[in-house]
Amino acid sequence: MASMDIINSIRKKHIPAVGLIPDSVLDFLAGLASWRGRRSKLTAIERLLTTFRHKEPDHVPCAPLVGGAYRQLTGATFREFSLDSNKAIEAGLLGSDIIGGDVLLLGLDLTVEASDFGQATIYPENSTAHPDYTKPLIKDHTDYRKLKRIDIKTAPRMQKVVEMSKVALEKKGLSAIFVPVVSSPLSVLAMMRGAEQVFKDCILYPADVMAGMETVTSVLIDYINALCDTGLIIVAPDMLFASKSGIGQELWEKMEGPFGQEIADVIHGRDCAVAIHNCGDGPYFDSMIKFMQPEAVSFACLPDDCKDRKEMKKKYGAETTFIGNVETPLLFSGSPQQVIDECRRVIDDFADGGGFILGPGCEYPPNANLLNAIIMVQAAEIYG
Amino acid sequence: MDSEKNKETISLLEKAVQDHDADGLNKAIDLALTLGIPRNEIRQALFQGLEHERRKMLSPETPLPKFLLSIDVVHEGLKRLSTGDETGKSGAIPLVIGVVEGDPHDLGKNIISRIYAASGFQVFDLGVQVPLETFIRSITEKKAKVLAISSMISTTMVQMPEIIKRVRAISPDTVIMVGGAPLDVSLAKSFGADGYAESAVTVLEETEAAMERVSAKEKWQ
Repeated sequence: MASMDIINSIRKKHIPAVGLIPDSVLDFLAGLASWRGRRSKLTAIERLLTTFRHKEPDHVPCAPLVGGAYRQLTGATFREFSLDSNKAIEAGLLGSDIIGGDVLLLGLDLTVEASDFGQATIYPENSTAHPDYTKPLIKDHTDYRKLKRIDIKTAPRMQKVVEMSKVALEKKGLSAIFVPVVSSPLSVLAMMRGAEQVFKDCILYPADVMAGMETVTSVLIDYINALCDTGLIIVAPDMLFASKSGIGQELWEKMEGPFGQEIADVIHGRDCAVAIHNCGDGPYFDSMIKFMQPEAVSFACLPDDCKDRKEMKKKYGAETTFIGNVETPLLFSGSPQQVIDECRRVIDDFADGGGFILGPGCEYPPNANLLNAIIMVQAAEIYG
Repeated sequence: MDSEKNKETISLLEKAVQDHDADGLNKAIDLALTLGIPRNEIRQALFQGLEHERRKMLSPETPLPKFLLSIDVVHEGLKRLSTGDETGKSGAIPLVIGVVEGDPHDLGKNIISRIYAASGFQVFDLGVQVPLETFIRSITEKKAKVLAISSMISTTMVQMPEIIKRVRAISPDTVIMVGGAPLDVSLAKSFGADGYAESAVTVLEETEAAMERVSAKEKWQ
């Protein structure tokens, strides 16, 4: 059955889901790619496979994490990028050609899930979409339980991302790896209630918040399944709250951790890889690994229990693949030389032995000049 | 006055803040007022409790949600203690704070605003999505010694240099602090700010340092 699935994927020019292939075969293929990489240039999928299996590819892969910034290439406004998936995918595909990179973001903006639940959303022409916090869908703690499960088949914005995924895979096939970011249950609730209130509710009314998370998670699972149906091989749950910027480690493990586990189990069950995104301060790597066993973690800051990159590599380097962590303020305002220097530092600290993808700590600033994104991709190729 | 009893009551006040225990704080305030402890000392105890939590903030003992609840408890306590004549607190440093236009994120700004308020500043919180002209008008009207500007997104952060330039033109001695996720020290310097705070944990120390630099006319190194 798995062999047929693999053959069918390749026939459709899709990348076969990693989970379909036995570990021993993956290791063999990664070893082969690593060996080949010493002599010739690898494809994105070979490079990524080698990295995920903690072997050294021809050079470190790059995930430039360009999202809304792609719209600069086609001249689309932020509003158009968020609301018109044709314009978003047009910009994204052009970006994959012009900027490059091995792992590419797929999506519209961070409000997709919450707005489909009915949260009023503002789409400025010149800035990123955000919830209308004067009209929160969840007005008090009792509203968490009133949250209605939605059918993702009729959820317009999530459907648009699914459509984008189909187009991206059809147009780019095996040449790039597109990864959709899916908000975590608490992040979705924070969009509908306001982060401050959600934080307090987690302590004051945890059972209500849990009920809300249960409803949201069931919809996120449908969404993830629909995305996986398109042939994606990696899904990136955004787990910001599993950090010191979030609700605290103990509370996260008690409240969101189990839902994170459910989400990761679904992704793994679809033979896809989990690449957590967490741009919070002091991310809880140990908790995320314990609950979600991610193949990769994209991060901005050092884990809460590591004092430097060296310790991080030693502690978690064998357990997952790191994606990061060039600082986004530098990408916004730094000179190409400064960006190159920082990329080299990050590569020096993390790339040894594989298990590392160069990228920004968070989404590439959507209004930053795209030159530094190109520089980052080039730096991975030249110095990685 | 029984000074031992007073000390115990002050400790109770501080502990109620640390435990974000609203009922406990109400009872402790009742007791403190009965004992004749001056309102100002009671307020100081609330601020002390909050300061204790701020220093531990983001540690496993005081994650962000607990700190937010402690802030709420202090806020309620201060309302109870208000006699209505605190608006012109003598000696308090007037400070204007707000999030730049187009940015609706208020969590960070709210935390910083309340920390300033609990630390001897007279805070004028302009809220979120504040137009440049509102910042300018408030600086003049409130005779602000400090301006704290926040932005959580890079698309709105780009307004900061213009705000700073305009504030400098009308009030050169106002200390300008900036903060928010897309910023770092070098960006803050390039915008012309006097100081930058990465988080609530360091904001008071960074503000104090910036005020000293501006007062001594020293360059921010």
